[in-house]
Amino acid sequence: MKKLVVALLTASMLLGLTACTMEGKKEEPAQAATDETPEETGESEEPAAEEPATEAKSDGDITIAVVPKSLDNAIFLDTQTAAEAKAEELGINLQWVGPTTSDAGQQVTVVEGLIEKQVDGILISCNDADALKDVIDRAVDAGIVVACFDSDSPESARSFYCGTDNYAIGKLAAEKMQETIPDGGKVAILTGVLGAPNLEERIRGFKETVEGSNIEVMPIQTGNDDVQTSVDVVGQYTAANSDLAAWFFVGGWPYFADPDALPEVQKFMENGGHIISIDTCEPMMQYVGMDMVDLLIGQNYPEMGALGVETLYKLIQGEDVDLGDETHYIDTGYELVDKSNYEEVWETKAPW
Amino acid sequence: MNNQVEKKQDASGILRRITKSNSFGIFIILLAMCLLLTLAVRDKFLSGSNIVSVIRQFSFYGILAIGMCMVIITAGIDLSVGSVFALAGVLACIAITKWNLPVFVSVLIGMAVGLVVGYFNGFCVTILKLPPMIATLGTMSIARGVAYTVTGGYPIGSLPDSFKFLGLGYIAGIPTPIVLMVVLAVLATLFLQKTVIGRWIYAIGGNEEGARLSGVPVNQIKRLVYALSGLMAAISGIAMAARLGVGQSTSGLSYEMDAIAATVIGGASLSGGSGSILGAIIGAAIMGVLRNGLVLLDVSAYWQQTVIGIVIILAVTLDNLRHLKKK
Repeated sequence: MKKLVVALLTASMLLGLTACTMEGKKEEPAQAATDETPEETGESEEPAAEEPATEAKSDGDITIAVVPKSLDNAIFLDTQTAAEAKAEELGINLQWVGPTTSDAGQQVTVVEGLIEKQVDGILISCNDADALKDVIDRAVDAGIVVACFDSDSPESARSFYCGTDNYAIGKLAAEKMQETIPDGGKVAILTGVLGAPNLEERIRGFKETVEGSNIEVMPIQTGNDDVQTSVDVVGQYTAANSDLAAWFFVGGWPYFADPDALPEVQKFMENGGHIISIDTCEPMMQYVGMDMVDLLIGQNYPEMGALGVETLYKLIQGEDVDLGDETHYIDTGYELVDKSNYEEVWETKAPW
Repeated sequence: MNNQVEKKQDASGILRRITKSNSFGIFIILLAMCLLLTLAVRDKFLSGSNIVSVIRQFSFYGILAIGMCMVIITAGIDLSVGSVFALAGVLACIAITKWNLPVFVSVLIGMAVGLVVGYFNGFCVTILKLPPMIATLGTMSIARGVAYTVTGGYPIGSLPDSFKFLGLGYIAGIPTPIVLMVVLAVLATLFLQKTVIGRWIYAIGGNEEGARLSGVPVNQIKRLVYALSGLMAAISGIAMAARLGVGQSTSGLSYEMDAIAATVIGGASLSGGSGSILGAIIGAAIMGVLRNGLVLLDVSAYWQQTVIGIVIILAVTLDNLRHLKKK
């Protein structure tokens, strides 16, 4: 029996290895095919004026890796789609790699792997600005052009950051909240993983804006980025606090569930409550139509992917790119979705 | 007259058995927590909707803890339950929405996946002789990976009401997940207490070599126990997908730790041989009430994790002290 098991295990490992090798080989002709057609894209780059590290490569040889905070966060799916479309348009290779969960340590390992593979560019959403700084600097030293999207590491040697000013959208949410409940009242806050820099910045923007006003911010509640926990926490807190005037969802976790799973929210809104939430993913649109949220403030995730890849590509090719002031921050803006425009916005979103 | 005396003696005997049972101490701690919360936030905690919400919330962990308890009794551990939870949930949803299979069949597919992954855990532990922690750590990663792959990371929604009933419906006025937890807990208790296989499970955990020498088919029983744990995880995951109306590859992350915590709080020993389903359910209830209490008491999320950790250590210490005193 034991011998049989060992033989089976060995055979399956060999089969697995062979399959992996064959997959790797399959990719080569595809790359070779794109090698033959670089001129078709019409790119005739001038030699790099300011970026000394790279010689102009043919497009088919260029590989850009996009590293989200984690592969399990559906919020990045729009970025992936847009980045892949842009890469195809430019005729370059794109790798979508990342840690399986939002963990800075795992993400560092992923970037180290990309340095070993000598990719040409990395576009990364940092789980932790400081923890990623060192590995980003090492990648830049190795001649890789690195940029951040969604979540920045401003002290690192990255070329630019494209994304939303998280403090600004927190501030905007607060201003909209003040317009929504001019008489003020108690406002609860739901966040995700505690300590995530983008979420903390939004909370800071919100709190600092309403400070001293007639809005009383309640102690922060967390759903730990988990839909069930978020649904339960919001349900229980809402039911227990009849004097609550509004919720500020720092991310749209509860709205990933089915509307039937949120009877407390439905009741809260029917009784005159208000909710302002960050994120404008496709499943959240129905909630606007059902009056289960007043306003959604969305980051432009597709633009982060498309613009990020395109700008990286230009830098790799040595093109002169205007990156603004010394912070090299490209604002991808935000969108506001309420009852007046949700149908139009919904049409622009790819169904999940 | 004699009958009355016998009845009184019976009643006092039952009372003595209850107070001496392993789960009694932890039950008192649960009651004390409920009492404190009632005093602190009376109307909020005791409202019907809040109580139902808390029980429904912990019923998912409770179902996981039923399977985990059996595994822990055999001195094993199952780290894969959170991933099986997600995999079974998304596969049932895919079967309904993409393969257009009837809800009943889809649910069976999800449950079968749980059984298979669980049985594979048992195979790794008994045939490949891997330590349970390593075997189930491997399947934890495999099951999660498959869940990510089959969904591409997208949540799977647009589920029919007949499926959502499993998580959002009511049976005789009681939410379905609670009914599920109670029924499964009763069945598992009867299985452990009243069947030969149940006795063997305790025997394996108490002294595996001794059990083997006395003719207990240790390996078969262990494979059965891991398969049941996978099945429980699958049922819980399917009920959760029904509760949220979406199947998500990310659901159930770190739920294995909650299931282990609930089981150990409930009096099970990680070195095997002891533990009860009732204790595990009470352990899950303590975690649920604690989380709910922290929300109702307006404790900032930044403090909640710390408080949960302190209360778990205190609860298990108090229960241990009670056992030491008894000895």
